[in-house]
Amino acid sequence: MPNNENLSPFIAEFNGVSLRYNKGPEILKDINFSLSPGSFHFMTGESGAGKTSLLSLLYLHLEPTKGRVRLLGQAMDTMSRSTRAQIRRQIGVVFQDYHLLNHLNAFDNVALPLRLAGEKESEIKKHVTELLAWVGLEKQMKSYPEELSGGEQQRIAIARAVIHKPTLLLADEPTGNVDDAMAKRLMYLFLELNKLGTTVVVATHNVGLVKNFHFPQLHLADGHLKIIPASDTYTDMANKLFKREEK
Amino acid sequence: MSKKSDFLFNKQSSRFFLPWICALMVFIATLVLAGGIATHNSLNLWQKSVAESLTLQIPTYDNGGNPRGELVYRDIENALMLLRTTPGVLGAIVLNDDQMQELMTPWLGSDAAVSELPLPKLIDVSVDTNHPPLLEQLKADLANSVPDAVLDSHRIWLGDLVRFANALLTLIGLILILLFVTVAITVVYTTNASLSIQEYVLSLVHMLGAQDLYITNRYAWHNFKVALGGSFVGFVLALPVMFGISMFLKSVSGQILQSSLHPIQWTYLLLIPVGVALLAFITTFKTVWKFLRRFL
Repeated sequence: MPNNENLSPFIAEFNGVSLRYNKGPEILKDINFSLSPGSFHFMTGESGAGKTSLLSLLYLHLEPTKGRVRLLGQAMDTMSRSTRAQIRRQIGVVFQDYHLLNHLNAFDNVALPLRLAGEKESEIKKHVTELLAWVGLEKQMKSYPEELSGGEQQRIAIARAVIHKPTLLLADEPTGNVDDAMAKRLMYLFLELNKLGTTVVVATHNVGLVKNFHFPQLHLADGHLKIIPASDTYTDMANKLFKREEK
Repeated sequence: MSKKSDFLFNKQSSRFFLPWICALMVFIATLVLAGGIATHNSLNLWQKSVAESLTLQIPTYDNGGNPRGELVYRDIENALMLLRTTPGVLGAIVLNDDQMQELMTPWLGSDAAVSELPLPKLIDVSVDTNHPPLLEQLKADLANSVPDAVLDSHRIWLGDLVRFANALLTLIGLILILLFVTVAITVVYTTNASLSIQEYVLSLVHMLGAQDLYITNRYAWHNFKVALGGSFVGFVLALPVMFGISMFLKSVSGQILQSSLHPIQWTYLLLIPVGVALLAFITTFKTVWKFLRRFL
């Protein structure tokens, strides 16, 4: 873990953050929010509302044009490149367009974060095989992304994002290409990780998903962020979900 | 499953281009350096030979073109007597007809009747290289006792030869520098081309938290291995060509050109492929390091 300024109790803190691309209009305006460790949020909003941009700030792909971002206790504007890399390794990202490497098979795509972290190959094999089985892709382990359907690619992208049990998981439309049963199964996976302490942010258009899983929402509209509290408690919701799964 | 280190490399143009450029450059550099070493060796041989010997010429015909007859033998006697008492002279031998024939063969061919030509008698004088004779004093003594003798220390023609050889060595050095610069430019070009193709992969790996040093090292080692492989191919291909040139030079020049190399000089040649591979490593490292700065 980076060792300086690590005093913030939050996983992420945004203070007066604005973002614009080059000289274009502001995509995000005066964003203020924080993510507590172990929290679960949906990120909602119309297409073009800035969800992907906000997620990009959260995984250090973009820098704000105004305001201050702190991630895992570190101020983004003063982070060294080495610290950025360390923080990125604690973040799992499910990209909207999957971002899989076409020259690697499903196994190697999922194994990437572990290999970058220097894990032993025996451990990698064990964990990747286990997770691919969990997302129902044990038979496609040696298949390349181009040989897989959109839904299968999405599951690989999710598996890659969670394989290293990240501190913060960011998912951009993670259930966009899977059926309802698989969507629920993937949400269950996120909840499992959340139970283990991972902070989760899921950007989605899926109203049903937001209604079924009663988590607070980071709602974006016209570049502004509004926090909509959860209508149900986490425990009640989780209990309901697990009961449904058992049935 | 792919190898652990393979995930950064997809459609690598350098895999196809870089090794062949390295092979070609090393092939040329090896021949050029071997030529330079042979020139250097020949130069040393000539300088050593010159330092070890002098040649005294006793004319067999006078200025009017008439045979000098008995005077030649008197001059030889006097010259030998003088040389034997000169400090720094180890010995003096009058070349016989067979030795003259052998000496003239490279210029006149083996069939020439050397004994019938109006050539001077030659006395080969061996010199103590640690305490050589004083040339000016020797010339003065010869002028007194053998006024027609001509002392040749070979320094005039050797001086020209040394200047030519040194110019050649400088040229060889410049060619080697140019070859290494070409390799460096090629590595920068192929690495940049490869990085452009790989930008998507690098961007993703960067987003997943790969350190710059991790990515840079992998690229640098990859190109090091590719360049080393190509370089050794070039080196191996240069060997038979070197052997052929060496055989040819021996056949046309006899011992005049020293085309064989000492064991230590073979190590210099071996340093070329290693040097090219190291150059590829350093150049790739710098190029990738700079490229990664475009990512946040």
